[in-house]
Amino acid sequence: MDRGLILDVRDASFRYPGAARDALAGVSLAVSAGEFVSLLGPNGSGKTTLVRLALGLHAPHAGSAAILGRTAGQWPRGALARAVGVVSQREDNLFPQRVHETVRLGRYPHLGPWARERDEDRAAVERALQRCDVAGLADRWLWTLSGGEYQRVRIARALAQEPQLLVLDEPTASLDLRHEMELFELVRSLVDGSGLAAVFVTHDVNLAARFADRLLLLAEGRVRAAGAPADVLRRDIVEGVFGWPLVVSSFDDRPQLTPLRRQP
Amino acid sequence: MRRCAQLLVLLALACRPAERGASAGDAPAERIVSLAPSLTELLFALGAGSQLVGRTVYCLYPPAARAVPSVGDGLNPSVEAIAARHPDLVLLYRSPQTETAARQLAALGIPTMLLRDDRMEDVARTARLLGHATGHPAAGDSIARVIDSLVTAPIPPPSARIAFVVWDAPPIVIGSGSYLDELVSMAGAENVFHDLHTPSATVSLETIASRDPDWIAILRDSSSAEPPAWAGRREWRTVRAVREGRFLILPAELFGQPSPRAPESVAFLARFLNHSSLPASQ
Amino acid sequence: MKWLVLSLALLAALLAAVTLGPAAVPAGQLFHSAIFWDLRLPRALLALLVGGSLGAAGASLQSLVRNPLADPFLLGLSGGAGLGAVLAIALHLGGAWTLPLAAFAGALLALGLVFRLGLVGGSALDPRVLLLGGVAVGAFCGAVTTAVVSLAEASALRNAYLWLWGGLSGASWDTVTLVAVYVPIPLVVLLAAARPLDLLTLGEEPARYLGTDVAVTRRRVYLAASLLTAAAVAVAGVIGFVGLIVPHLGRALFGGRHRALLPASFLAGGILLLLADTLARTAVAPRELPVGVVTALVGVPLFVLLLRRWTAA
Repeated sequence: MDRGLILDVRDASFRYPGAARDALAGVSLAVSAGEFVSLLGPNGSGKTTLVRLALGLHAPHAGSAAILGRTAGQWPRGALARAVGVVSQREDNLFPQRVHETVRLGRYPHLGPWARERDEDRAAVERALQRCDVAGLADRWLWTLSGGEYQRVRIARALAQEPQLLVLDEPTASLDLRHEMELFELVRSLVDGSGLAAVFVTHDVNLAARFADRLLLLAEGRVRAAGAPADVLRRDIVEGVFGWPLVVSSFDDRPQLTPLRRQP
Repeated sequence: MRRCAQLLVLLALACRPAERGASAGDAPAERIVSLAPSLTELLFALGAGSQLVGRTVYCLYPPAARAVPSVGDGLNPSVEAIAARHPDLVLLYRSPQTETAARQLAALGIPTMLLRDDRMEDVARTARLLGHATGHPAAGDSIARVIDSLVTAPIPPPSARIAFVVWDAPPIVIGSGSYLDELVSMAGAENVFHDLHTPSATVSLETIASRDPDWIAILRDSSSAEPPAWAGRREWRTVRAVREGRFLILPAELFGQPSPRAPESVAFLARFLNHSSLPASQ
Repeated sequence: MKWLVLSLALLAALLAAVTLGPAAVPAGQLFHSAIFWDLRLPRALLALLVGGSLGAAGASLQSLVRNPLADPFLLGLSGGAGLGAVLAIALHLGGAWTLPLAAFAGALLALGLVFRLGLVGGSALDPRVLLLGGVAVGAFCGAVTTAVVSLAEASALRNAYLWLWGGLSGASWDTVTLVAVYVPIPLVVLLAAARPLDLLTLGEEPARYLGTDVAVTRRRVYLAASLLTAAAVAVAGVIGFVGLIVPHLGRALFGGRHRALLPASFLAGGILLLLADTLARTAVAPRELPVGVVTALVGVPLFVLLLRRWTAA
């Protein structure tokens, strides 16, 4: 096992019960500490399914998924929550909450049902708030925050878990340009500064190309391309995957896609 | 003076045109359906039992009534079942549901009488009305006279205080709106809940305890003389009468509804109270 | 600080409950009177236990079914209890404990039915299925109850409804002891589920990623809360609004974390029911109001106040 290998999915295949074909077929994904990997692909290509499988929620019928050397499905819930912090696509807060209350929830995997919060828990929450630049919002109600602030708070909660791996499922989906940039910068700095590994699912191919170390491009449950952005975002590959004419240019030494308009 | 006023009122009531819905017919009714146990009993007392062709499931007195076919419930009458007996007069206890039924019967051309007999003077008036309607006017007047004399007789000074307990959880007692309250005062006792102007009311146990009746009266179908099941409960034993077992167990047959046998009921109570030096329940 | 205030409020409510009443008992003679020891004190303690149970059950159920308007009686338990009681009376079953036991059994039956419905499709007690199932079971029981009442002959049946809505008039040391022994068990289960409940309010998926066993948590909370409610309705009939309002009061004062919310809801529920019962006993003395009426009359203005506070914030 590589030192620092955190997530190791090998040739995994999975089919939903009653489905006609595999949702994932022979997919491999390896993420090490200090790596920022982005999952790309059209809708329905299996990105979220891959995330769930990597976290042990789905059991592959072929291949394997392991976190820190142990089979994903065999991780006890609490231990897994201490190793992996997930910012899922959807969250539905039932009752009004303040920022610091919701970030505190990230410490629960470290606390038993009866244990009280300790100083180290408070410190971890404080660090997470600072790291995500939301310490000044600690007393605000969640529903008063902007979309970008809210997502940073959710990342702070995941950070409070003190994980080794951060998984974000389309966290910039409804954010404006500035907040989207802020979020990518934040994840990048977390990976660089704390040695976290990050798996970032997104539709924003261009920003993923500029921030991520490696890309994994999925189409119809299979890996179309994986590796450095320059190797993945090649015109012949991406046009086929996204089904739209594109030009590939370069910015900051990273490939950028530009879709072409329809010819009249 | 008060008695004269009462008599006048009674006569005035008796002279009113018969209760809503009745036919003005002079011929006595031959096929009567009665939808209230008290009215069934009254019919038999008038000697009109043979004219009864339908009764409710609850009409069990006198025993001869049980031979008459039942048409179901009296408070929620089935118009079809009633009509199937081909009555020429239907007697109902007046209430919003029975008023609806009466209208439906009227639409079928069946005469009805809506009667209210909650209190003793109602019994007298009803007796006269039904006496005329069934062709037994003399019997009706006779019964009415007996009731009237009972009602107008001087009320003896109360020698004991009684509470009627109808239900235990929550505690429900009889108030002054009920004929039971009248019977009690005619027999020479006082209903401790006479100040409640409804026929029955929910009260706190501690109210019963603090009003400290001498006797707890309950109605019972069977002839058992056992104290009621709730008498053993600790919270009920804060009431002195329960602690001392001073239960007045009244046969539901005699006391369950206003009836022409009211003089009997009063005598029963009075007899008991005169012997009330006996400490235990009977 | 807030806990101190709450505890003081509890003591004040207890004091009011045992000193006020239709029977005038002078303060000096209070401890010597049977009315105090055998009537008011057990009744006050029962109000505390029942109100507390409803408050805690309501708080946990609102989080479980993800609906801030959920009331413990939304899950069909009151319908089941009513059916049990009415059947017991219609079958002329005697005995001092018959009604509460029959009501409890009926509530358990409803609990089982809704639980079974909630497991349909393999879903781990999907909140929407619980809610809908509860309403359906409640309606079904209500219909059967009405049918029994209209067909059966017992004149005592009309009093069954009074019993079901009656409240705490049947309080005795026996019931208090029984309930006091019974209630801590489901309460402890709920408290142990406090942190998982916090996480569940984020949603099923985020809760899972934060280490919650969603299926187990839901089952435990549902059973514990329902058992609390079943006991409450068996000894005190249907008392509405307490389970609905009190959790919101608790949240307004103590925040949403269940570690504080559950005990706060228990205390607040006890206080509310104590006050409501005292009012029920004294407002129209010597008559007594059904306590469920008073909780609604007191509860609705409180609720409106809360709503205004919420929307103003």
